[in-house]
Amino acid sequence: MTVFIARRLLLLPLVGIGVTLLIFSLLQLLSPEQRAALYVTDPRQLLALDSIIRTHGLDKPVTVQYVQWLWRVVRGDLGWSETAKMTVARAITTFFPATLELTLYAFVPIIALGIWLGTKSAVHKDKIIDHFSRLFAIGGQSFPTFVWGLLLLMVFYGALRLFPPGRLSLEANLYVLDPEMFRPYTRLLTVDALLNGQVWIFLDALRHLALPVITLSLVSCATLVRVTRSSMLETLRQDYVRTARAKGLEEPKVINKHARKNAMIPVITLSALLFVGLLNGVVITETIYNYPGIGRWGAGAALQLDAAAVAGFALFSALLLVLGNLTADVLYAWIDPRIRLR
Amino acid sequence: MSKTRWFILPVLVLALAFAFQPGMATGQAVKNPDTYVSVSFGDTDSLDPGWAYDTASLTVIFNVYEPLIFYEGGRMDRFVPFLSTAVPTLQNGLLSKDGKVYTFPIRQGVKFHDGTPLTAEDAAYSLQRFLLSDRDGGPSSLLLEPIFGLTSSRDDKGNLILKFADLQRAIQAKGNNVVITLKEPFGPFLSLMPLWSFVVSKKTAIANGDWNGTAATMAKYNNPKKESMGFFEKANGTGPFKLERWDRAGRQIILARNGSYWRAPARLQRVVLRQVDEPATRILMVKAGDADSDGGVSRRELPQYEGDPNVKILDDLPTGVSTNPAFFFTVDIDCRGNPDCGSGRLDGNGIPSNFFSDVKVRQAFGYSFDFNTFLQDGYRGKATLAKGMIPLGMFGFNPKQEYFTFDRAKATAAFREAHGGQVWERGFKMTILYNAGNVTRELGSRILKDSIEALNPKFKIDIRGVTWSSFLAAMDAGKLPIFWIGWIADFPDPHNFAFHFFHSDGTFPHSQKFKNGEIDALVTLAVKETDVRKRQALYFQINQKYFELAPSIATVNAIGFRVQRTWVRGWYYNPIYPGTYYYTIWKG
Amino acid sequence: MSVLAARKVAAQTLPVTLSTWQTAVLRFRRNPLSLMGLIIIVGFILVALLAPVLAPPLANTRDPYMMPHAGYSPDPQAPRPGHPFGTTEQAFDIYYGIVWGARTAFRIGLMVVAMSVAIGIVVGGIAGFYRGKVDEVLMRIVDIFLAFPGLILAVVVVAILGPSLQNVLIALALVGWPGYARLLRGEILSVRERDFVEAARAMGANDLKIILRHVLPNSIYPILVVSSLDMGSVVVAAAALSFLGLGAPVGYADWGQIISLSRNWIIGSGGNAFAFWYTVVFPGAALVFFTLGWNLLGDAFRDILDPRLRGST
Repeated sequence: MTVFIARRLLLLPLVGIGVTLLIFSLLQLLSPEQRAALYVTDPRQLLALDSIIRTHGLDKPVTVQYVQWLWRVVRGDLGWSETAKMTVARAITTFFPATLELTLYAFVPIIALGIWLGTKSAVHKDKIIDHFSRLFAIGGQSFPTFVWGLLLLMVFYGALRLFPPGRLSLEANLYVLDPEMFRPYTRLLTVDALLNGQVWIFLDALRHLALPVITLSLVSCATLVRVTRSSMLETLRQDYVRTARAKGLEEPKVINKHARKNAMIPVITLSALLFVGLLNGVVITETIYNYPGIGRWGAGAALQLDAAAVAGFALFSALLLVLGNLTADVLYAWIDPRIRLR
Repeated sequence: MSKTRWFILPVLVLALAFAFQPGMATGQAVKNPDTYVSVSFGDTDSLDPGWAYDTASLTVIFNVYEPLIFYEGGRMDRFVPFLSTAVPTLQNGLLSKDGKVYTFPIRQGVKFHDGTPLTAEDAAYSLQRFLLSDRDGGPSSLLLEPIFGLTSSRDDKGNLILKFADLQRAIQAKGNNVVITLKEPFGPFLSLMPLWSFVVSKKTAIANGDWNGTAATMAKYNNPKKESMGFFEKANGTGPFKLERWDRAGRQIILARNGSYWRAPARLQRVVLRQVDEPATRILMVKAGDADSDGGVSRRELPQYEGDPNVKILDDLPTGVSTNPAFFFTVDIDCRGNPDCGSGRLDGNGIPSNFFSDVKVRQAFGYSFDFNTFLQDGYRGKATLAKGMIPLGMFGFNPKQEYFTFDRAKATAAFREAHGGQVWERGFKMTILYNAGNVTRELGSRILKDSIEALNPKFKIDIRGVTWSSFLAAMDAGKLPIFWIGWIADFPDPHNFAFHFFHSDGTFPHSQKFKNGEIDALVTLAVKETDVRKRQALYFQINQKYFELAPSIATVNAIGFRVQRTWVRGWYYNPIYPGTYYYTIWKG
Repeated sequence: MSVLAARKVAAQTLPVTLSTWQTAVLRFRRNPLSLMGLIIIVGFILVALLAPVLAPPLANTRDPYMMPHAGYSPDPQAPRPGHPFGTTEQAFDIYYGIVWGARTAFRIGLMVVAMSVAIGIVVGGIAGFYRGKVDEVLMRIVDIFLAFPGLILAVVVVAILGPSLQNVLIALALVGWPGYARLLRGEILSVRERDFVEAARAMGANDLKIILRHVLPNSIYPILVVSSLDMGSVVVAAAALSFLGLGAPVGYADWGQIISLSRNWIIGSGGNAFAFWYTVVFPGAALVFFTLGWNLLGDAFRDILDPRLRGST
C-alpha cells in the first residue's frame, strides 16, 4: 500500500511541471504588450507600456520566463498575483479554505440526494419516480449555474431575507477579523467559530452557506444520480441479488444489505473525483454570492492573464487532482478486496 | 436512527440559523447606524498615495490622508486650506509675483493616526516622494510636468534623470512652511493640489522600508514595486478615518473613525468598502439594507432601484469632469497582417492605412453618428450632447460651439469628397473594436455601424468585442482603425483634456499617430496663460480647431446620479471626488 | 467536473457487444423516455434545418447569425406581435435567436464532440494498443490535461485566443479529449484480451488491421453513449463561458449568449420580480430540452447496448 501511495505521489511533480508547461506554452501566444495589460488598467497609462514590459521582463522569450519561474518555485517562491494583490502562495492559502468549506458542506447534500434519488430511480425503474428524478437531474444541470444562483438569491434573500450573500454578516465579520477576539485555527469559519466558542458566528456562517450550497447541489447532483442509478441497476441484476430474492429475502433488505454496498463502489470513486471537481467548479457560484473563494480568484486571474497566478493555481490543481485520484483508488481498493493495487 | 430521521438534524440547524440572525431587516429601522457599508466593483490597487491612480484606491486614500488644500464643498474651482493654513494667492503674497513659487504654511497641532505630530518636513517629504517614485503609468507626471517640465523622471532607457538637488530646490520645508517652486508658471497648479498632494508620515514611511529622503538611495526608490512602497497596505495619515484593516481575503476595506482628528471627529464610527462583482447582488444588498450605497450601478440597471421606498436616487448631478466616450480615428493604421483593415486597400473590401488621414472621412463619420439615439438608449436620455473634448461644466466649455450632429446630408457630402471621391464610389470595409463587457461602447459601435451602413450599401463595418489585453496592445500598436474610449479628468482643468485629446504627446494622439505642431503650440500657450479671459478665449479656439480637424468625435456628457439608502445623510456632490467623502456622512 | 467520472463508470459497466438493429428498435419502442429523447432531437434538427424559413433573416444582413434588432432599447421588452418571444436589451429578437441558436447549438456540440473524439481516439487507441512505455507517456499527458479544472482551462484558452465562438470550440475540445482518450484506452485494454483478437493475430493479421477491423468496432459503443451525453453538456459549458464574457459576441444567435444577457434582469424591476421572465425562460427552455433530448438518447443507447439487459426485456 505504501509503495503504491509513494508511486502515485511521485506523479505530482511530473504532472505539476506538465500542467504549468501547458499554461506557459499557451501564454506564448500572447505578445508582450498583451501580457503587460495586466498592469495597465486605464488607457492613460498606455505611454508607460514599454517601460512596464521592460520592468517585468515580459519581452523575454517564454521559455526563459518559464525556467526563471520554475527556478523560483523550486526555492519556494510562487510569485506575486497582481489580481489578488498578494503573493500567489498567500492567495491560495487565503482563498482555498473558503472554497473548501463550501465544498464540504455541499458534498453532504449532493451525495445524500444523489444516492437517494439514484437508488430510488433504479429500484423503481421506468416508473414515475424514475422519470422525475432523471428529469430533475438533467434540469438542474442544464440551466446555467448563474440562473439558479440569481433566482435563489432573489427569492431567499431579496424577498424572504433569509439567506444573505457573502460569508458573514457585518457584525460577525468585524468580530472574526479582530485578531484579539478571534483566532483562525483552520480558516473554515464554521469550525473556527465553534473552536472559539462563538456559536452565533457558527450559525451566521451556516446561514450564508445555505444558498451557495443549494445552488451547487442542484447543479452537481445530476451526475451522481445517473451514476448511482446505472450502478444500482447493474448490481440489482447480479446473480447474488437474484439468489437473495429467490431465498425469500424481503426487497428492502435485498437493497440495503446487498445491492447498495456493492453499487456504492463506483459511486465512491466518483465521489472523490466529484469533490475535486467541485473545488474547481465553483467559479460562478462564488461570483454570484460574493463568496471569496479560489474558483473566483482562479477565473479572474485567467481572464486578466495574471500569469503567475494561473501557473500557481495550475500547480495547486495538480496537487488536488493527484490527491483526489489517490484517495479514490485507495477507497476503491479498500472496499473491494478483489481489486489489488498495482 | 432510521433513514428519514437523520434529515431532521440539518433542517433543525438551518431553522436555528435563520431564527438567530444578527441584524435582520426590521422594517425601516436604520441598520448598523454607526457603520456605513458601500458596495462597488473594482479592486483596490494600492493604498499608497504615491502609487494609486485608480478610483477604487483613491476613494480610500482621500478619506485617510489629506492634502495641503482641498475643494470647497461641491465646488471644483474654489479651495479651502486643509493641512496648509492658507490658500496661496497673489493677494496674500503666498504666491510669488512671477507665479512660480507657492508657499503653504503648515497647520500646527495636527496629529497622524499614530499620534505623532505633522510637520512641514512630512509635507515636503510626501511631495518629493510622490515625484520620485514616478511608477510606470502612475500619477506622478501630473506634478512632474508643472514643477520640472518633465513628462517622466526617467529617460528612454529607464535611467533616472531627476536630480536630488532639483528635488530639494523645488520642494522645501522652510520652518513651518512648505515652499514649492515651479519651473514655469502653471495656471491650474492649485487645482492639482487637492488630489495629488496627500501628506504621509515620513517616519512611518522610513520604518516601512521606504525612501529615507537622501540622495544616496534615490535611484532605488524610483519606479518601485507596488508592494514594496511604504504605504501599500499600511496607512498613517491625518484624515478623519484611519485604516483599520485591508481584508484582501474578503475583498473589503475597513476604516475606523479618527478620534483625534484636527477638526471635529467624523460621525460615522466605521466605514466598510466592499467589492461585490455581480450587479444584481449589489442591488439586492442595498434593497435589503445590508449596504448603504451602490457605487457600481449603471443607468441600465437604475430602473431596478426605482419605486423602492427605502432607496433614494439622486439624479441630475452635473458631472463636468468626463468626456466619455469618444471615438478616435487612427490616422496611420498598421494594416500589416491586420484583419480589421480588410484588404488594406480602398477597393471596397478594406481600408488603407491612411484612410483616416483625410479630414473629410473623419468629418463624415462625425456626421454619421446618431447622437440622439445613443443618448436616449445608452443613457436613458440623461446626458447632454458634447460640444468637443471639454465637458459641460468645465472652464473652457463653449455652449455656442458648433459641433457634429446626426446629419445624413452632410455625412454623404463629406463621404463624396473623401479621398477624391473614391470612398463613395468603391466603398470600404473595416472593423470597429470595443472592450468586451463595456455596454456603452458596444452600443456606440453598433449605432455607428448601422448609421454608416445605411448611407451606402458599399460601406461595410463589422464590430467586435475583444479582451482588454488585446484592445490595449492593439491600441498601442496603432492597429485599431477606430477605437472607443473615454477620459475622466485628473484635475478640474481644461488642460487635462486639451493635452490628452489634442497634443501630440498626449495619450490619445500618441496612439492615433496624430501630430499637429500648430495645435501643440496652441495647447501649450493656453495652459501658460494666467489671465482668465484670455485663457478662455484660447480654449474656445482649441474647441473650434477640435471641431474642424476632428481627430476624434466626442459624443455625450453624461449626467451623474447616485443611489443610496434613505437613511444616509450628509452627502454632497463634488464631481471631481474619486468617491464618497465620508467625513460629513451619518445615518439616521 | 462534467462527465469524466460517468465515463469511468461507463467504462467499467459497459461490456463490449455487437448489437442488432432489431433489438435496438424494439428497445426504443418499449421505452417512452427514449422515444421522447429521439423526438426532441429530431425536433431540434428540423428547427435548425428550417431556420431560414422559420425566422427569415433581414434582406441586407451579411451574417444571418446576428440577431436582428429594431432599435437599441436598453430594456428587454415582453413578447408582442412581431416578437413572439420578446426582445432582450438592445432589442435583439429572442425568437430569431432561439431558432438560429439551434444551428449554433448543433455546431458547438458536433464540432467539439467530433474534435474531442478524434483526438481521444488517436491518443487512447495508440496507448491502449501498444501499451508499455507509449501508454505511460500518453496517459501522463492525459493526466496533465485533466489536472487543470475544465472551466478554468477553457477560460485561459479563450482569454488568450480572444473571445469568439471559434475559440470556444477549440477550448472545449481541448478540455474534452482526455476523457475520451481514457475511455477508449480502457475499452481497448479489455478487448485486446478477447479470443477473437488472439485468433486474428494467430492467423497473421497485422496490428493496424486488428485495430481497425476488430478492436475499434468493439470499443466504440461506450464512446457513442458518452458523446451523446456530451452534446448537451458542451452547449451548457459554452453558456458558462458566455457568462464570463468569453463566448459568442453580443447579438449572436447562441442560446448561451442570449441567456447570459438575462443576467441583469433576473431580479426583475421595481415591484415585479419576474418582469423579465422571457429573457430567461425561452433560452433556458431551449438549453434544457436540448440537453434533455441528448441525455435521454444517450441513456437509451446505453440501455440498448448493454447485453446483460438482453433477454430480460
